[in-house]
Amino acid sequence: MNLPLAEWMPRSSAVNLLAGVFLLSALYVVSQRRAAACISGYAWNSVSLGLIAALVAASTGERHIWIAAALVLGIKGFLIPRLLRQALERLRGRRVPEPYVSIPVSMLICGGLVVVAFSETRELFGSAGTILSSCLPISVATALVGLYLMVVRKHALLQITGLVIVENAIFLAAVSLTYGMPLVVEMGVLLDILVGVALLGFFVGRIEETFEGADTTRLSSLKG
Amino acid sequence: MTILLLSLAFLSPLAGAACLVARDERLAGRISALAASLAFALSLAIAGGVLAAGPSIAVRGWLLADPLSALTLVIVSAAGCAAAWYAIHFMPGASRAMGVKGTPAQYHALYQALLGSVLLAAMSNNLGLLWIAIEASTLASALLVGFYSRPGAVEAAWKYLILCSVGITLALLATVLVFASSVGVFGEGAAGLQWAALRQVASQLDPRLVKLAFLFALAGYGTKAGLAPMHTWMPDAYGQAPTPVSALMAAGLGAASLVALLRFHSLCARCVGESYSGHLLMVFGLVSLAVSVPFLLIQGDYKRLLAYSSLENTGFVTLAIGFGAPLAIVGGLFHLLAQSLAKSLAFLVGGTLSVSYGSRRMDHWSGVLDASPSLGALFAVAGIALAGLPPTALFLSEWLSFHGGLQAGHAWPVLGALGALATIFVGLAFHWTRMGIGRARAGFADPLPASSRAPLWSLAAALLVLGAWIPSPLRQLLEQAAQVLRP
Repeated sequence: MNLPLAEWMPRSSAVNLLAGVFLLSALYVVSQRRAAACISGYAWNSVSLGLIAALVAASTGERHIWIAAALVLGIKGFLIPRLLRQALERLRGRRVPEPYVSIPVSMLICGGLVVVAFSETRELFGSAGTILSSCLPISVATALVGLYLMVVRKHALLQITGLVIVENAIFLAAVSLTYGMPLVVEMGVLLDILVGVALLGFFVGRIEETFEGADTTRLSSLKG
Repeated sequence: MTILLLSLAFLSPLAGAACLVARDERLAGRISALAASLAFALSLAIAGGVLAAGPSIAVRGWLLADPLSALTLVIVSAAGCAAAWYAIHFMPGASRAMGVKGTPAQYHALYQALLGSVLLAAMSNNLGLLWIAIEASTLASALLVGFYSRPGAVEAAWKYLILCSVGITLALLATVLVFASSVGVFGEGAAGLQWAALRQVASQLDPRLVKLAFLFALAGYGTKAGLAPMHTWMPDAYGQAPTPVSALMAAGLGAASLVALLRFHSLCARCVGESYSGHLLMVFGLVSLAVSVPFLLIQGDYKRLLAYSSLENTGFVTLAIGFGAPLAIVGGLFHLLAQSLAKSLAFLVGGTLSVSYGSRRMDHWSGVLDASPSLGALFAVAGIALAGLPPTALFLSEWLSFHGGLQAGHAWPVLGALGALATIFVGLAFHWTRMGIGRARAGFADPLPASSRAPLWSLAAALLVLGAWIPSPLRQLLEQAAQVLRP
């Protein structure tokens, strides 16, 4: 796969464009109330991650990065959104609980998180010597946005969406710091994440049948 | 050594598959127990091999048999073995009483998956493999925590899964950062993820990234190990999981996760000096000790009490390793071993008692000694051990750690920890005397056969023997494992 985009545009701007999509799709998830829209946002997030990895593979010519990029597109861009949609299907008709913080306020807070991430990342990580060093602040910002989503949403599926966005951000950090880890490790990590999401979806189903809905605030019987 | 490590790595997955094929409850239970015993024997053989021939790396740098990994393997497989034998007698009745999500064979298969992933984590030389194994253990144990069909089990499993997934994601970042810090030394090769290789070039790693990696590992593997303030999943999960699983999680999973964190500590200490990560470990250890005190005192539920005792013990080991003195590290590692024996015993004997009294609430338990002298004796040994009294091994390990801490000049942390331990002792003494002494409650009936107590007697005997005398191979193993951790 040789991207035409990479031929007429300098590669770094293609990467920057995709990194922009990566961050904006995470912010899109924050802005959406409906779970289906949030899952689409996550799918966009994953696809841009996979394309960034593909661009890196095209620039470095390393075969293992091509495979990793294909796996990211297949597992994170396709399979995990599909699992989440299936879990959502089973919840049809249930009321979606409101988030703890209203959506406009959440957008403002996430904007603040992005600013903090951009100003502090250089301090923390130093500058990596790869073509993707500009992606590092974006990955930190996206990780913070994902964690924020997990904290602020009461809907079990949306908490999972936050978690997988954080995982995407860590993947982007891995790619931008080192061009990715050895392939066997990447494959194991992706497999674990896939099984993890399947399992979380299974437990959403059990929460739904036990507590009548996917509102995690009802999970409050264990104390002390 | 390669053969031993490989067969240990594949033993549990195979046994788990055999359990699924067997389907029959009794048969699956026996397969599981035999596999766990074999795992224990293999771990002992690996420990013996390490003592005789020194550390070795196998399977192209993926697996590692050094004194620390051998010690962890022994700890994990001892707990796994005792709990697997106990489960043969305990699980059929408990499953019927509670109602389960799944079949008995699935329980044993999941148990083997959990045991296998923890063993793999203990012997992995590759940080990526370590991460994969620890995450796999989260997934297997989450299904086990949610194995009973009551609402509390669903709640506990969900909270456990979400919290530990976030934690493990941070640990993935730590792994990436260590890998990035070594790019200047190894380039993009797989050596940048291998403990044994990283240890030797620690001083050339990028110190800023290594420090950051330690912070994320502390948050990530610290969550799995159950350090405060990331411990909140622990009482819920230990409380709701089937008792043998609680025992394996508290004794095995916690120990392996903590050792993973300690390896990050030793790497960081070699790279940027001992005080950075050592002080952080001391702080988190002390906070864990302090947080556990009030919850231990006011607790009414036996299994949640043990979860807070795990918090206390994990905090204590972390503190002792943070002291940095060789004696304290030996004491800390010995405490890790001793507490896992004591915690397994306490969980398993509690399983029998909760079945016999028909409740897990401690105020429903009275006159254990009167009701059943043999159960009472086991219960007393567990209580004495958890309170850190002689003649059990925990007294010795705490004493060694404190002595080492004073040698290293950390008088105030030692004093603080002593205060916490003394308060916890009072609380446990109160709980245990109230439950142990007096007349037996009417309706006490122990439905489990006497053979279910065999693993408990072995654990109690080990605790008492190790309190009086550490055999010389174990002493060597502890000392060499301490050298692995000490820069």
